[in-house]
Amino acid sequence: MATGTLNQYIQTVERMFRLAEGDELARLLSLRDAHVTNRNLRSSDIASLVEGNCVAPLDELIICHLLCVKAICEKEYSEAYSHQSQCVVTIVKILQNQKEQNWCLPLMYTVCLDLRLVAQKAETIQSNGKILEKAAESLLSCFRVCAADNRTSDEDTKRLGMLYLVNQLLKVYFRINKLHLCKPLIRAIDSSPLWYQFPLAQQITYRYFVGRKAMFDSDYRMADEYLSFAFQKCHRRSHKNKRLILTYLIPVKMLLGYMPTRNLLQKYDLLQFWDLTSVVKNGDLRGIDRIMEMHETFFISAGIYLIVEKLKIIAYRNLFRKVYLAENTHQIEIASFQAALQIMGQEDVDSDETLCIVANLIYLGKIKGYMSYQHKKVVVSKQNAFPPLSTL
Amino acid sequence: MSQKLNSYNEDKLCIVGTCPDMCPFEEVTLREEEKLVHVLEVTGEGYKLVKSYSRSAASANMAVPRLLRSYPVLYDTVQYLLLKVSKRTDVKMSVMYDFLNDRLRAVRQDMTIQRLPEEECLVLLEPMIRFYVYYAYRLCDYPLNEYDPVLNKKYLLECIKWFLSCCDNIDRDNAGTDDVDSLVEDLSKLNVSNQKHGELSCDRILVESLYILCNLDDIHPLYRYLNLSKQIKRVSILKLTYNIAVANLHGNYIRMWKLAKRLCPLTFSALCLYLPKLQKRSLQVLSNAYNSKQLTVPVKVVQQWLMFNSEEEVRAACTYYGLKATDGVNFNKNSFKLDANELPPRKHYQAKILHLKLEDVLSYTL
Repeated sequence: MATGTLNQYIQTVERMFRLAEGDELARLLSLRDAHVTNRNLRSSDIASLVEGNCVAPLDELIICHLLCVKAICEKEYSEAYSHQSQCVVTIVKILQNQKEQNWCLPLMYTVCLDLRLVAQKAETIQSNGKILEKAAESLLSCFRVCAADNRTSDEDTKRLGMLYLVNQLLKVYFRINKLHLCKPLIRAIDSSPLWYQFPLAQQITYRYFVGRKAMFDSDYRMADEYLSFAFQKCHRRSHKNKRLILTYLIPVKMLLGYMPTRNLLQKYDLLQFWDLTSVVKNGDLRGIDRIMEMHETFFISAGIYLIVEKLKIIAYRNLFRKVYLAENTHQIEIASFQAALQIMGQEDVDSDETLCIVANLIYLGKIKGYMSYQHKKVVVSKQNAFPPLSTL
Repeated sequence: MSQKLNSYNEDKLCIVGTCPDMCPFEEVTLREEEKLVHVLEVTGEGYKLVKSYSRSAASANMAVPRLLRSYPVLYDTVQYLLLKVSKRTDVKMSVMYDFLNDRLRAVRQDMTIQRLPEEECLVLLEPMIRFYVYYAYRLCDYPLNEYDPVLNKKYLLECIKWFLSCCDNIDRDNAGTDDVDSLVEDLSKLNVSNQKHGELSCDRILVESLYILCNLDDIHPLYRYLNLSKQIKRVSILKLTYNIAVANLHGNYIRMWKLAKRLCPLTFSALCLYLPKLQKRSLQVLSNAYNSKQLTVPVKVVQQWLMFNSEEEVRAACTYYGLKATDGVNFNKNSFKLDANELPPRKHYQAKILHLKLEDVLSYTL
């Protein structure tokens, strides 16, 4: 298809449409296929050459697609975006006309994915999130058609296309930082009875994003569950994706008391976490600050800086546990804790602040015991005074 | 099909207001006839009306140039409202607030319809933000029928988010030049920096700080902070604010309060409004940590830890949350009433803002 005339192209598209060859049709209307390099398809007068030349609204789709190809070749990305969004409008029409069949979903996937990619490209020039916001609206128009198709049998329902669209939308919302818009989408998917029929790859993408969202919402158990699923099921050869999942899964696991092994970190080129692991284990607060500063750009761009900040709670717990083991008593002077904090880099901590830190640890269940203000002591439980973090 | 759908490039096609006065002529006539002149619009020099807010209804066309005020007129209007009208002492503070709020909303409406350029929006929004923060504190103990904190917060956030997104857009346009001073420069063109007393100020750092402090229970302002440029992040007052928020994340009320002493009057007052929430959560932490049948913590100590105004206030709060308190507070995790609503905010004796007039609050720089 990299050569051939415009008419041949139109005929092929129409034939695939009539044969209901969804995948083949999708390829023919993809921006990432060889046919986009074919100069014969880039005539200056596409609209009049194609219109009426094949079954409607397929001609409309072809026109928009080829105009988009042309605009991209000319590097006119915002124009390309408006043509691609017209493609989506046409797709919505096609989907609505095809009752009780879903063979067209691959075409919808391709056009929607391309829409997001073109929008991202256009954003590199005019980057205020407006184009991606519009792209999200277009994606939602497809989503509504799919979600509403609830009378068709489970095999032929367009509802099977929902997860793919939700994943595209999640990608957009994460990119433009509108996480609050994810909530209704997540609800729609989680309440869908079709969950196990969605392709595994889509499930993984979905769990990855929802896991990340749970992490932002400080729901670490859920984040752990979703990200772990994504990591375990992700194909072993998708090294890049596995690394991406780990970037979030590791700090979440650390907060829950599981430290990563050096092997794992090395395998995925995430050794930034290795230094962090040892300072958190040792309760080295100065060390945490140092590492946060050293890898600031990485932690911030990955969006995990505040999670790393929260690891200080684990570090406090580990530090105080050391004090407890060294003192070998169940009644520990606050002054000992304070001295430990000062040695570990928090020189300006006074006794009130030490009391406050310990109080929070007891409240969080990381230390079992109670405090006495009069005696300036912490009385820890005779058994299991510092319960293993992974049991909390 | 041939139509060009460059709808996101249409930004520059906007209506320009031509109304030369603070209030369009039609509205003046109508309101004078219908006797709808607000008491604060009656001055020693006769009526001085300011365009009032009206909801955009489907039937009414708002986009009429002669009903819209241009940027210079809007600037004068904001200045007149916040620096002149606010000095009047013949009405209750809540009446004053309602009036100013309504007229400022009308200003924002004019701004929206005309799609004013970002630089101009910044100048108009910043004093409004100070206005909302100031009154949020001054009116915090007023009854609900006179002052609604939820609505105030809504308007405040609307202004702050608008302001910050303007800053982001300007930053983006200036990206490449990577010049810290460019924003300041842009503003000086508009004749607002280096202001003297009695003029409005425009301070991005203050707004960034307020965004964090007015939303301490939300983590998103912190993510925003982290992604700001290094030059802005290291401005000490903003960094201080971030550190307060991080201390809050750790439940470290001692550090929060230590740091808070360095805040400016507006940011301090924003933090004070968060106190009831902070106190409730901290009392809950303490009820777990000092859980005991006999042992107590002196009331005086709890007062200092949790920024209460007086020992009396500590006792009242403890009793309210189900804890026994006489000379000492007897913390008990089982009797702590978790489901009790937090107490309404009280004015804090250390808040300098109580002694400041709106005018002072509008003009100080960090």
